[in-house]
Amino acid sequence: MPSAIAMPKLGITMEEGTIVEWTTAVGSRIEKGEVALVIESEKAEVEVEAPATGFVRHYYAEPGDTVPCGTLLAAITASLEEAFDPADFAAAQAIPAEHASAEPPRTAATVNPKAAPLVRPDLAAPELRRRRGTVATPAARVRARALEIEIARVPGTGPHGRITRRDVEDWFARRSRLVPVGDGIALDVPRQGAGDPVLLLPGLGTDVSVFAAQVPALADRFLVLGVNPRGIAGSDAPDLERYSVAAAAADAARITERPAHVIGASLGAAVAIELALSTPERVRSLTLVTPFVVADARLDVVTDAWALLAGAVSSDILARALLPWLFSPGFLADPRRRDRTLRGLGQTLARAPAATLRRSVAGLHDWSGSRALELGAIAVPTLVVAAGADLLTPDAPAIAAAIPGATCLVVPDSGHAVTIESPEAVNRAILAHLAAIE
Amino acid sequence: MPRELSFTGAINEALHIAMRSDADVIVLGEDVAGGGGRKDQGIEDAWGGPFGATRGLIGAFGPERVRDTPISEMGFLGAAVGAAATGLRPVAELMFIDFLGVALDPLLNQAAKMRYMFGGKVRVPLTVRTNVGAGNCTASQHSQALYGFTAAIPGLKTVIPSTPADAKGLLLASIRDDAPVVFCETKSLMNLKGDVPEGDYEIPLGLAAVVREGGDVTLVGLGRTVHTSLEAAAKLAAEGIEAEVVDLRSLYPLDEATVLESLRRTGRVVVVDEATPHCGIASEIASLCVDRGFDFLDAPVKKVTAPHTPVPFSPVLEEAYLPTADGVVEAVLEQLGWNR
Amino acid sequence: MISREEALDVYQQLRTIRSFEEKLEALVMAGRLPGFLHLYVGQEAVAVGVCAHLRERDAVSSTHRGHGHCIAKGVDLTGMMAELFGRRTGICKGKGGSMHIADVDRGMLGANGIVGAGLPLAVGAALTASVKKTGGVAVAFFGDGATNQGQFHESLNLAAAWKLPAIFVLENNGYGEATPTEFATPLTDLAERAVAYRMHSLVADGMDFFDVFEKAGEAIGRARDGKGPTLLECKTYRFLGHFVGDPLGYRTEAELADWKTNRDPLEVFVAKATEMGLVSAPALARIDAEVDAKIDAAIAAAAEAPFPSPEDVLTDVYPAE
Repeated sequence: MPSAIAMPKLGITMEEGTIVEWTTAVGSRIEKGEVALVIESEKAEVEVEAPATGFVRHYYAEPGDTVPCGTLLAAITASLEEAFDPADFAAAQAIPAEHASAEPPRTAATVNPKAAPLVRPDLAAPELRRRRGTVATPAARVRARALEIEIARVPGTGPHGRITRRDVEDWFARRSRLVPVGDGIALDVPRQGAGDPVLLLPGLGTDVSVFAAQVPALADRFLVLGVNPRGIAGSDAPDLERYSVAAAAADAARITERPAHVIGASLGAAVAIELALSTPERVRSLTLVTPFVVADARLDVVTDAWALLAGAVSSDILARALLPWLFSPGFLADPRRRDRTLRGLGQTLARAPAATLRRSVAGLHDWSGSRALELGAIAVPTLVVAAGADLLTPDAPAIAAAIPGATCLVVPDSGHAVTIESPEAVNRAILAHLAAIE
Repeated sequence: MPRELSFTGAINEALHIAMRSDADVIVLGEDVAGGGGRKDQGIEDAWGGPFGATRGLIGAFGPERVRDTPISEMGFLGAAVGAAATGLRPVAELMFIDFLGVALDPLLNQAAKMRYMFGGKVRVPLTVRTNVGAGNCTASQHSQALYGFTAAIPGLKTVIPSTPADAKGLLLASIRDDAPVVFCETKSLMNLKGDVPEGDYEIPLGLAAVVREGGDVTLVGLGRTVHTSLEAAAKLAAEGIEAEVVDLRSLYPLDEATVLESLRRTGRVVVVDEATPHCGIASEIASLCVDRGFDFLDAPVKKVTAPHTPVPFSPVLEEAYLPTADGVVEAVLEQLGWNR
Repeated sequence: MISREEALDVYQQLRTIRSFEEKLEALVMAGRLPGFLHLYVGQEAVAVGVCAHLRERDAVSSTHRGHGHCIAKGVDLTGMMAELFGRRTGICKGKGGSMHIADVDRGMLGANGIVGAGLPLAVGAALTASVKKTGGVAVAFFGDGATNQGQFHESLNLAAAWKLPAIFVLENNGYGEATPTEFATPLTDLAERAVAYRMHSLVADGMDFFDVFEKAGEAIGRARDGKGPTLLECKTYRFLGHFVGDPLGYRTEAELADWKTNRDPLEVFVAKATEMGLVSAPALARIDAEVDAKIDAAIAAAAEAPFPSPEDVLTDVYPAE
């Protein structure tokens, strides 16, 4: 006796479903539990598994067909030799009309629970939209075609994640400034200016845009190399369990052959410390902005929450959640500045996928404490920039004290994101620091 | 040498020039002389039009060519059509475009269609000057912006200047055009002053103007909303967004090329119109952008217009009715995804 | 009074209008003409009696029932017929048809699909004549139905206020479409409306060429002399329906028979002109034959003429730049 696949009834409101695709051709072998077809119902796609192992003998409906629940869709026989007549089988399977809607389909059609997001169809919708097609503006599509870019790869920053022409152009520009750092990995390193190299290392989950206020001042005299870490912006995102601080330091060491002035912020400062200890010959000077060597409990909790939120909410909402941790109350008191910062931060965070956050936070936790007792070994001229109202890395002045000869600037009343909140003071200190060395 | 003139002054100057340069030009309408021309009683130039735009014409050109009409819009507009078809070049003043309600047939069924119906064998060089728009508490029957309606009638041309200099050049071009032209004078701009070149010059119909350049978004305005758009552009500039402002000037013929060229540069269009939103110029521009500028679009086209209501009287309500610069800014930020 | 030559000319025009309209009716019934037609049969004496006084530069505005005014104003028959057939060779290139047939070069400002819309156009033409001092006049033909339109009143008032050389020729045929005039107005003589505008007015027997000719002569003479406009009411009757195919349930057979038997404008003219010794039967018969041949030729030419090309739909909307 052949086995039947019928249109399943998934939930009380489902009355009909549409065939999206058959996964195998008539005559092919299929295993019980293997996905036999994909259907669409109530705006969600659902994978339907084969009820038995055997051979697909006949399809009664084609992709695009919309049929009522319970309608016979396919027949499977144990072997290709087994006698089978499509019409006879269909007649035998026919459901009396008066029972059709009341009873569940007689044929056992199983649903893969992982692929059935029917519990929350409203949440499933955006997911579906992504799968169906990329939301992009007409201008973005035309630009992508001209640049020969597959538009689905471009992260969208427009409303509802819509890909704009600017997104395409930015992505293209990022791809064209990739620098290989070994192991087949390339980092997105925007550059500006000329002269001795300056490496900029941004903190957790952010890209070099956090140094936007520093770059013009530095680019007057230096070759500024902004290093977007693994998984950030246009940089490659290797599929690893964690992005370790040591690997990030090794990446940074490969950006330029020449010894560089290294400027790191927060987790970027950790990378800078690691670099100065592991490859001191590549470091001419060190600027540690709001650094830490041991993550305190609060930093642990905030970074864990950050990684979780990144996978659950939009970057705009994530920016709202992070704002109080990164900026001082005084800064946030100005609504115009707050709105603008929110927008900018939202766009920055949009360039850091949730997976990158998870991997980077794992690296951060691993590194925490590992170099705490070695600061005395740092032998290059060092500037530490601390922020008076910093909630996340309050130990920065102590780090300055532990590094031989280090100078320390404490920007009073500033929050953790001091490069954004107090750019003038930070720039003055950095330029003075670098001038003293040159 | 340009000098500063008001909108009204620029129109007045254009009328003087047109009547001086062509004896076939006559001016007729309610109060265009305002009972003037009675030298025996010492009344030479009484009103010179309800807005003063025709002041001095009766003295310069006499009662044969400058005619006060009865309050009889259908009659005198119809007569103007007949006069235009038989050899004169009339400039009729329809005091408010709202009065189309009692005067439509001569424009809709006669002037607009005669040339076509007669196989191209007639010219109807008629200009209808008319006052449009809200902003002066003139309420529902004296404030409408019905130019989208006249622009929708094949055979008519419709013009709406936003500056005194454009008003003069466009009016001279309208009067000398051999087609019937509806020339819209925006009430809230009548006292606007601006540099106006001296002498006789024409601005061709069907030519829009880029009045501000910018690369981030195109604001399309007409009449009053050119100024609304410029104000919005200044506000956007403070946010680092550079808006280009296009002044349509003619609604038919419509300068599609200038709009599309600007869209090509900016990728975004917001149409700003003080008319109501349905079946109007704003929708027409949106349609144009989607139809012929689809591949340039980097955001949905936005319309910032009056609501689908009559024009209210109270200043508070009228302010709420008219599109504002802040409304334009909102629309642009929405296009950019900057939710505030 | 008119000469023998003029009398034959008048008869030729009356006969042309009559035959033109009757042949059109047959063409419509045979399904050979597109659209719908309003025919002038019965009212011929009005158009001919008024236009006999007009020169080419004088202007005429007309109504939906406009063929008679066109013919009386001298519009080319062949071009008219081709227009009614919707051909490219039509007087309006096939774009106007019966209801918008026009020839501005001959002072014919067009038939008109809007009742009353021709009046202000004639006022405008009279204004042109006045401002440009051409010595011309303008005539508006319109029916009794138009006298209840605002355009009628606004036009009469404007022409009177400005003392324009305009003549308002009211063809009172007793029915506004199907509705009897007495349903629409309390007046018997619609010419009385002129009183409200202190305008000169006259009433003529619209079935009698000679009466129309005399009264129109007075009105047009006053206009040319700068004495201002006149409202001339011509009492007339249409022998056919409001349009071809009108079932005519709104008037009695007896009424129609009375008008046709006793007051047919062609018969009235022939009887009076014969009595005055202006025309003879053989001359009239010769004209009948000539007119028939001429109209038949126009029909043949129109039927053979090319249709406009589809792309012509786009031309003649605006003057060329």
